[in-house]
Amino acid sequence: MNQQLRRRLAYGSNATLVTAMVLGVLVLLYVLADGSRARWDLSADAANTLQADTEAKLTLLDADGLPVEITAFSHQRGKEDSALRDRAVRDLLVELDTRSTSLSWRIVDFDKERLTAERLGVNDYGRIVVQRGQDRVDIKDRDLFRRVGKGDDRGLEFLGEAALSRAFAQLLAPTRRVVYVLQGHGEPSPTERGPGGLSDLVAALDIERYDVEPLDLLRTDREGNAPVVPEDAAVVVVAGLRGPLTAQEEDVLLEYLGRGGPLLLALDAGQPLPVFLPRLGVRIPDGLAMDTVLVFPYKDRPVPVYKSHPITETLREGKVVTMLGAPAPLRLVEPAPAGLRVDPILVGGRESWIERGGESVGGSAVFQAGVDGEGPTVLATAVQLLPGGGVVRPTKPAARVLVLGDSEALTNGLLAEGPGNKDLALNAVHWLAGDDQRLGATKGRRTAERRLALTLEETDRLRWISLLLLPGLVSILGLATWNSRRGR
Amino acid sequence: MQVAWAIYKKELKVYFVSPLAYVFLGVFLLLAGAFFYLGVTMTGEASLRVMLGNLAIALLFLLPLLTMRHFAEERRAGTFELMMTAPVPLWAMLLGKWGATWTLCVALLAGTALFPAILAYYGEPDWGVIATSYLGLLLVCGAFVSAGMFSSSLTDEPVAAGMVGVVLLLPFWIAGTLAELVDAAWLRATLRHASFLTHIEPFSRGVVDTAALAWFGLFTFAFLFLTWRSIESRRWR
Repeated sequence: MNQQLRRRLAYGSNATLVTAMVLGVLVLLYVLADGSRARWDLSADAANTLQADTEAKLTLLDADGLPVEITAFSHQRGKEDSALRDRAVRDLLVELDTRSTSLSWRIVDFDKERLTAERLGVNDYGRIVVQRGQDRVDIKDRDLFRRVGKGDDRGLEFLGEAALSRAFAQLLAPTRRVVYVLQGHGEPSPTERGPGGLSDLVAALDIERYDVEPLDLLRTDREGNAPVVPEDAAVVVVAGLRGPLTAQEEDVLLEYLGRGGPLLLALDAGQPLPVFLPRLGVRIPDGLAMDTVLVFPYKDRPVPVYKSHPITETLREGKVVTMLGAPAPLRLVEPAPAGLRVDPILVGGRESWIERGGESVGGSAVFQAGVDGEGPTVLATAVQLLPGGGVVRPTKPAARVLVLGDSEALTNGLLAEGPGNKDLALNAVHWLAGDDQRLGATKGRRTAERRLALTLEETDRLRWISLLLLPGLVSILGLATWNSRRGR
Repeated sequence: MQVAWAIYKKELKVYFVSPLAYVFLGVFLLLAGAFFYLGVTMTGEASLRVMLGNLAIALLFLLPLLTMRHFAEERRAGTFELMMTAPVPLWAMLLGKWGATWTLCVALLAGTALFPAILAYYGEPDWGVIATSYLGLLLVCGAFVSAGMFSSSLTDEPVAAGMVGVVLLLPFWIAGTLAELVDAAWLRATLRHASFLTHIEPFSRGVVDTAALAWFGLFTFAFLFLTWRSIESRRWR
């Protein structure tokens, strides 16, 4: 080996080593920067900033460490707003990705990658499939976008963050839980599909990973054992009693509350009430809850006002009305029994009252002092029974109870008619079951479309300005420079 | 630093007294105008997203043509040896040349300022998004210029240097598209991290991301460093 070659080899290997080391350090610096990134959203309305609730769910997913894979299928090309929809989905997925270590995503062209669509059993445009281990949640396009506004204000609302946030919540609670619905007193049936049944609520709960089972506390099992509330009960629902509970049933329910069991009591005016109700800090006086503001065209449906509570948060923010059919007024026991925390969640307006008969104007009830009860009324209240407070045993967790002055609000009829009824029912079950992270306050938001309404004449003018004005000016400047240089 | 400043001024003067910059500016603004017009008429939005996205691709092909002459031309003209023996630190030369070309890019983008003004006249553009989009493009320009300078340091032929520059940059562009076709999550993530598209994307939405800033800064530095090594290797090769 001659000296020149040796010199080259020495310099070359040294240079290669140093270069590789420097490039390695640069990659390492990038990895560090990527791991401790900061972001500033300068867009109008901070359109790219995730809501706190979504971030909290991502943190929970990351803590579990199980990878979450999101496959988003493209929208049908050529259809109105398809590019805008695809972009909104992509932007959201990118944003979620930057906030999570366990999340990966891909956009699949539905027309080109049919195999992927078939593998995932997807046969519609715009669907998002979220997978985590063996669990999977599908989000349809209609749950991602909603048309809002009219005329010039017409736009597209993107609900993707809310939909994905709910999907994450579902994945975080992969085990199905059981909601028991008390039967045997003429209550609405979970299997009844008519307006008075609970089948729609059962279907909604099924999507949320709750199984609904009937609960019969009147009879023994086949071995002759006394009836009890099963240990796997996430929530017990007592809705629409048409006959009184027996003393044994009351004891069983109190025993269930005593071990911290959550209870949803939807009781109606003029119907039998559980004897233990005052022990929950609530009474139901005679009469109907009435208000000057009613749901049109009904004469007996006051519009409830939401009080701040995790159950009502989304409804308050979304200004969504819940419909109650002739609700019973609730009175809070004063002073509240020890060991209770009572928080009204639905109340009547300032001019609400307890209607007990008397005068009416044009078919509508009016307040009559001396006959009717003073308002404002309480229509639903959340109660927390603290351990050692008289009902819940000291070693057990606090029991959550929701007392609603109307059972019709949960039935198929009002669940379909009342815009907020389904969300109220689901939020109530989530809260009662202790699934607080599923009470998302994640809202939809308008897509970042800022329309330009150009006339044909303006479009024409725009074409000439864009294509000719600037290049023309630069050409003149260039020719002038060239000419002056040539003259020297 | 004074040496770097002198080189910067000299390079900038070369650009603006020759017709090259004006031809380049003219072509660039023609493309920008076309992208702007098509973007606005096709989407009906008061947004520069289509224009700026396409301009970034156009710059990938155009900027290596601008940087190809930096070293390849010097070598072909026989002034490279003179430059190497002059008492000028190599870093100052690199910084001066890079700075001058990047400044030309600033001038190119300044030429498109008319388009946001048009949007403001006819609609209500999102100024935050427009500002960050331009910031993103300036970072892209810095990265492309440094990669172009590296390609120019590799060969004596300016045209070959230009083509090498495009070939060097293209994988970093298509990595983002390739990522969408890959099933393995780790490979998809790696390709996304390597792609320009991933790091421009936050800027195009109005987000300033420190990881993206770091990526462009490190990319630019990496190719300036490689250029330095490439030129220095001439001393012992």
